[in-house]
Amino acid sequence: MGGDLPVVVALLLVAVAGTAAVLARDPVRQAAVLAGLGLALALLFAVLQAPDVALSQLAVGTALTPLMVLLSVRKVRRKARSERREEHE
Amino acid sequence: MNGWLAAACALLLVGFLPALLGICTGPVRRRVLAQNLATVLAALVMLLLSQGYARPSYTDMALVLAVLGPVGTLVYERLLGEELRASRPRPLVTRTMTVLGVAPVPAVVLPVCVAATPGRTTLKLLFIGCLLVAGSALCTRALTTPPGGGGSDGR
Repeated sequence: MGGDLPVVVALLLVAVAGTAAVLARDPVRQAAVLAGLGLALALLFAVLQAPDVALSQLAVGTALTPLMVLLSVRKVRRKARSERREEHE
Repeated sequence: MNGWLAAACALLLVGFLPALLGICTGPVRRRVLAQNLATVLAALVMLLLSQGYARPSYTDMALVLAVLGPVGTLVYERLLGEELRASRPRPLVTRTMTVLGVAPVPAVVLPVCVAATPGRTTLKLLFIGCLLVAGSALCTRALTTPPGGGGSDGR
């Protein structure tokens, strides 16, 4: 039982982060929660002794996912702003 | 289960879980600062795990995280810069976050260095520690620069 404690703790963290990612409504905030979920998942894989999976999860989860979400948010906002300006003119 | 794994569990529960809760609640700036802190703590947990499972190659995960973590945080600084700089953080917040992000690194890296076999592993561990300290300090500074000031990165 003692050897399972890290796995239990990591699973708890993934559960907390996953629930929070589902409950977050604003995309910008959700990107931050997704980065946290990626970290928790990488820790879970590390505890389960799968370092290669953890490495790819780190690469995707910490940098790529927030970057793509934030780029889309910026593009949508910019589009909305330019459309509003056109309506005024 | 040995002492290193117990230390990793303790760091997960005492350090990473509050940082995760900080990511899940509050305004955007607090979330990004907490994410920076969580990255540092996750890298430290991975160092402890590599020592606990007696697999020196597991430190690669911490190395990758030490490089990619600041990149992920600076993405926010780059894309949400105006929003983040709109309000000035209290100096106390800045100082606390800097200390929280830097202080645990030597506390974990030095014992792991002492316990690891001397040689290239020690150098690698010290390198990871330096990367973590530099990345954490840089990100905290970039996120808490007051509006108008800073801009030291020449953008």
